[in-house]
Amino acid sequence: MAHVLSPVRGSRPPRPRGDAVRSTIRGVGELLLTAGLVVMLFVFYEAYVTDWFSAEKQREATAALDDNWNNPRGIVDRPIEGAGIAKMYIPSFGSDFVFTVLEGTDVDTLAVGPGHYQDTALPGEPGNFAVAGHRVGKGSPFNSLDLLSSCDAIVVETVDRWFVYRVLPLRGESADWAGKAAQPQCRGVDPLTGSYADVVGKTIVLPSQEEVIAPVPGQPDLPAKQDIELITLTTCHPQFSNRQRLIVHGILVAQYPKVVGQRPAELTADA
Amino acid sequence: MYSWIWRHLPGPLPIRAVQALMLVTAVVMLLFLVVFPWLEPRLPFNDVTTG
Repeated sequence: MAHVLSPVRGSRPPRPRGDAVRSTIRGVGELLLTAGLVVMLFVFYEAYVTDWFSAEKQREATAALDDNWNNPRGIVDRPIEGAGIAKMYIPSFGSDFVFTVLEGTDVDTLAVGPGHYQDTALPGEPGNFAVAGHRVGKGSPFNSLDLLSSCDAIVVETVDRWFVYRVLPLRGESADWAGKAAQPQCRGVDPLTGSYADVVGKTIVLPSQEEVIAPVPGQPDLPAKQDIELITLTTCHPQFSNRQRLIVHGILVAQYPKVVGQRPAELTADA
Repeated sequence: MYSWIWRHLPGPLPIRAVQALMLVTAVVMLLFLVVFPWLEPRLPFNDVTTG
């Protein structure tokens, strides 16, 4: 069909002078439209496609961790970078909220799941068990971190133990804490004192403020060995932005040895 | 640009439509699997760590 048409096109009278201008303008218009479509595709990629990729990686990491827990290949004294070290449950995000936490916070590790800041405490250790996670895309484990309230449970499962952390009193709650402290889920959660006095359940900081993951948050100069077992979660803030970081601090209130077939009451009671 | 591509696709209309669809799919795959994963860490809105 094309070669039937082309002689007709070829025999057209020479194009008027305005045609070059017109086709240039059309070309520019098409380029702009294409650029717009690519940007929209990128948003789609960030919000959905990375979720699909990350879900698969998270499944593999969880399977590897389960395998490692069920068939221990000798004791590893330090976690291996990029490998799963624990599972994290946040019952107030739903009973199905569980992520395998990996060792390290580089881009590739965080694409698999929440990442443990290397050189911060391990689960249950005195100090600060600090974990970073994506808020948008990549499985967005920490998408709803801003919705956590004081006393909400963050349960961490390791090879042989369950650790129950709870979000510390939020800013402004400490003054009137007695009322809230009476609630059963707040047992063991009290406003911190002494060098911890400024540590509250939720803060928003600048990206440069790495002192939030210090053993005593906000005080990087204090020694690493501390008595209080904290957990710190970090993610980006506001959503879709790089401007600040949303920080959640919690304190260890209970721990149980793992018993086959049993889960801590915190995982069901809060849901 | 698009009309130029369309004119240079061989075959009758249905075949051209299929080819056009394949071209679009190829470009989208290239973006999703190569370009965006490369670009993403360079953009300033998905950093979640401090320090």
